[in-house]
Amino acid sequence: MRPLTFRKLFFQCFILAVILFFVVILALKFGAVPVSLYALGRDLLRVLLGQSSQISSDYGLIIQNIRFPRIILAVIVGASLSVAGTSFQALLRNPLADPYVLGVSYGAAVAAVLGLVAEPHLALPPALAALFTPLCAFIGAAATITAVYFLGRRQGQIESNTLLLGGVITGYFLSAIIVFLLSTVNSSNTRGMVFWLMGNLSTSFQKSVYWFLAAGFLLATGVIYASANDLNILLSGEKEAMHLGVDVRRVRFVVYVAASLLTGLAVSVSGAIGYVGLIVPHIIRLIFGSDHRTLLPTSALGGAIAMVIADTLARIVVAPNELPVGAVTAVVGAPLFIYLLRRRLA
Amino acid sequence: MRIGRGPATVIGSNSRKPGHPPLAQRPAPFARKGEAGSPRVSRGAFFVSGGISRRNRGGFLKKFLPSRLHPAAFAVLAVLTCAAAPAYAQSATHSSPEPPAFREVADELGRTIRIPQQVRRIVSLSPSSTETIYALGLQDRLVGDTDYCDYPADAQKKTKVGGATNPSLEVIASLHPDLVLVTKLNRLETTQSLAELGIPSYATDPHTVADILSSIKTLADVLGAPEAGASVVEDMQRRLDDLQRRLRDLPPKRALFVVWAQPLISTGQHTFLADALRRAGAVSIVNSSQDWPQVNLEEVARLQPDFLVFAESQPGNASREVQKLGTLPGWKIVHAVRDHRYAVISDAVNRPAPRIVSAIEELARQLHPEAFAEKAGDTKKETEKENPPARPLAFAPFSWNPPHSPHGHSSSTGGCLCGR
Repeated sequence: MRPLTFRKLFFQCFILAVILFFVVILALKFGAVPVSLYALGRDLLRVLLGQSSQISSDYGLIIQNIRFPRIILAVIVGASLSVAGTSFQALLRNPLADPYVLGVSYGAAVAAVLGLVAEPHLALPPALAALFTPLCAFIGAAATITAVYFLGRRQGQIESNTLLLGGVITGYFLSAIIVFLLSTVNSSNTRGMVFWLMGNLSTSFQKSVYWFLAAGFLLATGVIYASANDLNILLSGEKEAMHLGVDVRRVRFVVYVAASLLTGLAVSVSGAIGYVGLIVPHIIRLIFGSDHRTLLPTSALGGAIAMVIADTLARIVVAPNELPVGAVTAVVGAPLFIYLLRRRLA
Repeated sequence: MRIGRGPATVIGSNSRKPGHPPLAQRPAPFARKGEAGSPRVSRGAFFVSGGISRRNRGGFLKKFLPSRLHPAAFAVLAVLTCAAAPAYAQSATHSSPEPPAFREVADELGRTIRIPQQVRRIVSLSPSSTETIYALGLQDRLVGDTDYCDYPADAQKKTKVGGATNPSLEVIASLHPDLVLVTKLNRLETTQSLAELGIPSYATDPHTVADILSSIKTLADVLGAPEAGASVVEDMQRRLDDLQRRLRDLPPKRALFVVWAQPLISTGQHTFLADALRRAGAVSIVNSSQDWPQVNLEEVARLQPDFLVFAESQPGNASREVQKLGTLPGWKIVHAVRDHRYAVISDAVNRPAPRIVSAIEELARQLHPEAFAEKAGDTKKETEKENPPARPLAFAPFSWNPPHSPHGHSSSTGGCLCGR
């Protein structure tokens, strides 16, 4: 393995970070409410100078309270899904692995739907009530990923194909449960439930939620990154990795748990957004190679870029109405995936 | 086809199969051969099949039936014969000596349907039709309705045919209705399947409040109760006129009708809901040609509605919802949320039925209390004064109609589930 030069890692991340920066600026500019670049720049400067209290215009408030939090959410969700996808693909040595294939999103959606049904009947304080559905979704995601983990175990070992198949079947099962719930539950919430299946970043959260998400993302990504070298070795095969002194079981467990945590966090605030965790790692690999020491941070940045672009499109294509962002990622993602697939085969 | 009908008839007439997959999703390969949509043709087929079921009770075909018949076709046959058995029974027992006279009427989707001169047995597939039937005093003719039909309370006791989007065709057929009332809530497949079963369905599709009135009137005529229809519609019109007089000189309040908060879904301009808002002295800030648009919160923050309007089947939900939204940074900058300026009305507003006028009145009272000030007895109903920034929320009980179960609202959303 070639030694990792810090310069290379820095260079790759720097390029993507610059792209992300400009994408975020554009995402801040475009939206249902028109904002001039000048006004945007002036307000951003004020924020940087710590004078955010001077922003009093309605537009400034909208950007500060609605658009910016939403973009941050897109960044975290995109990065989380992408890192989770990269990890699952390496872990299971299968290019098809991604958080959705493993059924996690459906587990989250089932729990979210149940939460939406139960919420009006529980007399929760308003602040907790706003958090209740995401909490349910996270618990659902965690429960599903645990169940799939045990489905994928054979004689104490994780077996890639069994795990993937177990995830796929669990996903089918859970999506059937969702359909069942949607068609039987007599609740005023059916419309909101449907949105858990389509992915949606328009939900507004308390500030603490964003900090919590960011902390969870950094923690889990850090844990995975610590095993980046082991993941590289694991790509050459399990036995080989074992002979080279990698504790395969430990790496698998740790990375699996961390990637699941990332998925659960992302799904709990955004619903089921497909394709980002699948395609972004592939694109990044094509561009920058498959060394996980660079792949993990670059695919995090790539996922963030992709998600911010997708969400901006979802906001502006039919403005002032919105599209579910999951529809945008699927419409763009599926043809892109087919293109990559054909190119690889050619 | 001839072979197929025999055994299925036997099975169908002996036992209902409530669990089999919904008919509408499974095309019936041969049922389409008959002239779909022509009640007479299919009805004839029923009598034949009913006759067969009488004569042909043997199970001789059972053993090769599974291999010959596609399961879907089997399911269809089961349903067909479910319809057939009572159809036969009825024609044998209490049909009049002279053949029933049919007449042709056009429904609001422009379809021409053939119905008996006297419509005696009605199945309603939407809460609004059920309410209309009760308002017309025709409840004795209502033989079945949906799980969502919760008003009046008596409607809950009727035979349930399932939900609006997934009713059981078997149950409908077994009720042997002369007419099934459908709306936008129902799926097209349901009406098509009904047509194949020879059951006429009458669709109502009002887009404005005026449409609702004319729709009720026409429906009353079709059902043979023109006097009741005229008096119901006259009463609605009188109350609407009164409302219009009171609100004539008042500028409309700018309102956001919240169908669903996160993600924010409101109502488009071509819905009767938007028109109901106008009648109540409000104008929706959402100007979308979609019926149920997902609206960007930025747009709401820019337009700053005077009021948020919620339609609730359970009192208290809306106040919880607003408190919840008040904790979120994106919603806090909407002044109506910050100042608790919201109006809550009965979910009757979602239903194109006579009761919508009461909901419109409720809304008008909350948005324009000054217009109703001279009536001392009504002051209780005033809940919202304009722009009271720090005033604690005074939540007056508005006139809830008798026991509500939390079904109503979903009926209005059900139609969109399939649309999306």
